[in-house]
Amino acid sequence: MKLKKVKESKETPLVKMEDIHKWYGKVHALKGISLEVCPGEIVGLIGDNGAGKSTLIKILSGVLSKNRGKIYWKGEDVNISSVKEARKLGIETVYQDQAVIGCLSVAQNIFMGRQPVKPWGPVKVLDKGKMRREAEKLARDLKLHIPSPNQEIRFCSGGEIQGVAISRAMYFKASLVILDEPTTALAVSGVQKVLSFITRLKNEGMGSIFVTHNLHHVYSVADRFVVLSRGEKVTDVKKEETSVEGLIELQLRKGVTVT
Amino acid sequence: MVIGVERIKLALVDHMIWIIILGVSIFFCYTIPNFLTFRNFLFTLYVVSPLGLLVFGEAVCLLGGNMDLSLSENAGFTAMIVGVILVDWVTWLPGWTGIILMPLVGAGLGAVNGFFVGKVKINPFLVTLSTFLIFNWMTYYLRRGAIVRMPGALLIPGGGRIGGIFIAIPILIGMAIFLYFILDHTRFGSHIRAIGGNSKAANMLGINVGNTHFWIFTIAGALAGGAGLLYTGYLKCIPSTIAEGDIFLAFAGAIIGGVSLQGGRGSAIGALGGVILMGIIDAGCTMTAMDPALRGVLNGLILLAAILINKTRASLRDRVLMPK
Repeated sequence: MKLKKVKESKETPLVKMEDIHKWYGKVHALKGISLEVCPGEIVGLIGDNGAGKSTLIKILSGVLSKNRGKIYWKGEDVNISSVKEARKLGIETVYQDQAVIGCLSVAQNIFMGRQPVKPWGPVKVLDKGKMRREAEKLARDLKLHIPSPNQEIRFCSGGEIQGVAISRAMYFKASLVILDEPTTALAVSGVQKVLSFITRLKNEGMGSIFVTHNLHHVYSVADRFVVLSRGEKVTDVKKEETSVEGLIELQLRKGVTVT
Repeated sequence: MVIGVERIKLALVDHMIWIIILGVSIFFCYTIPNFLTFRNFLFTLYVVSPLGLLVFGEAVCLLGGNMDLSLSENAGFTAMIVGVILVDWVTWLPGWTGIILMPLVGAGLGAVNGFFVGKVKINPFLVTLSTFLIFNWMTYYLRRGAIVRMPGALLIPGGGRIGGIFIAIPILIGMAIFLYFILDHTRFGSHIRAIGGNSKAANMLGINVGNTHFWIFTIAGALAGGAGLLYTGYLKCIPSTIAEGDIFLAFAGAIIGGVSLQGGRGSAIGALGGVILMGIIDAGCTMTAMDPALRGVLNGLILLAAILINKTRASLRDRVLMPK
């Protein structure tokens, strides 16, 4: 299985976006952007606010629709028109503003929208036992500090909440995980935790896109960097061919500020 | 893990309404002679059962982070439509068809709300305020006065008895259990809670928020239609004032039962507790021959007390649940 994945990575990229355009009314937000992610690869998508990174990944995760361009999923031309479809393909998104429902339990939050059910006479009822067990297993796996899967998620710290969001990707065996500013709202310890979760995803063979405007957060974990500025791709370099200083300089030259 | 003492504390906080019911019952037992008889308790439940279905409808709306101001007028308008159909328009229809028609017509009226809130994305307050007015005055337009010669079959659910027990009581309790099952043990129910808790996150998790809103209002409408049926059987006629203004009591019942206005929190069983408490207090007032105006005032005071109690309850609950 592992061998096959390595082979796959050499043949076709997991996802390939080609010449993506997006207009918001008269604003040309994406001016023909191309992006590739291979299995087991972490791509750092960097750029200042308004550079178009959010728009690009929202198109990939099915929240927004593109105006022009093509998306190839494992070599096949696909049309992603909803979050559900993206999830069916194996694209999971972890959002900056932590897409969790505070008053529900950790287990409920992991499975929300895709809960396991069991037949109960003619109807299907939620399999709460299974959700609890799986949630417990995931929490142990990711070393989350959650006392119980029944814990309401609003009592968890920001880092743990991102961990819960990432555990969704692990449980549902996503192939590509999009992380939209997953560290922005977190304290330093939370950032470290999330970075370790992301390394974990890489070890599982998942590809990920790490969107951020904070180069320092992404630099230690990413394999490749794509820099956007005002809706255009500025750079696409491997980590070996660049350095933090190089990237910063590059961004500054293109008028991109790095915070 | 929540174990032992913590678990008991949580259960006490979560089911506080039943403790309050017990307390109020004991108070009335000592102050009113013959208050606590089984027959009296059954009659109390019976009287409050039409309102109970409205409370359940409102509870479903509130859990989904919505509100429906039009439920009581929906109940009245539904009863009037079905009454006019059976008595004037399609007189060959047997009376029992009304029993099926009521929830269906109610659901249809609720679906109108659901369409505007879920699909056109208009604020639920504004939508249901409009339909409140429309339903209310359409009832008067259909018939000023009352339909009095009702087919007997239509009165059975709201007025009939089986073995000495009013049929409305098992309808009320059965509906609470049914809603508990839907809300706490099905995907659809969890979607309602998710949307009520955080609709933006629910949307990002792939839940169709618009569709769910549509069904929330449709279900609430069906419950209002059921309430219309029970009101009809209770009153033995359909006056144009039927269920008028009961929406305020429906809100009160849901909130007294611990359903949060912020959405996502509360349960159908809690709402049933709210209904029973309102019924008991109402019965107590009736038996002491309290001034009707003062009873209205008392209802307001009870609602205020309930809000304060729920606020304290929420913070107590947080303290129990807070990880140590």
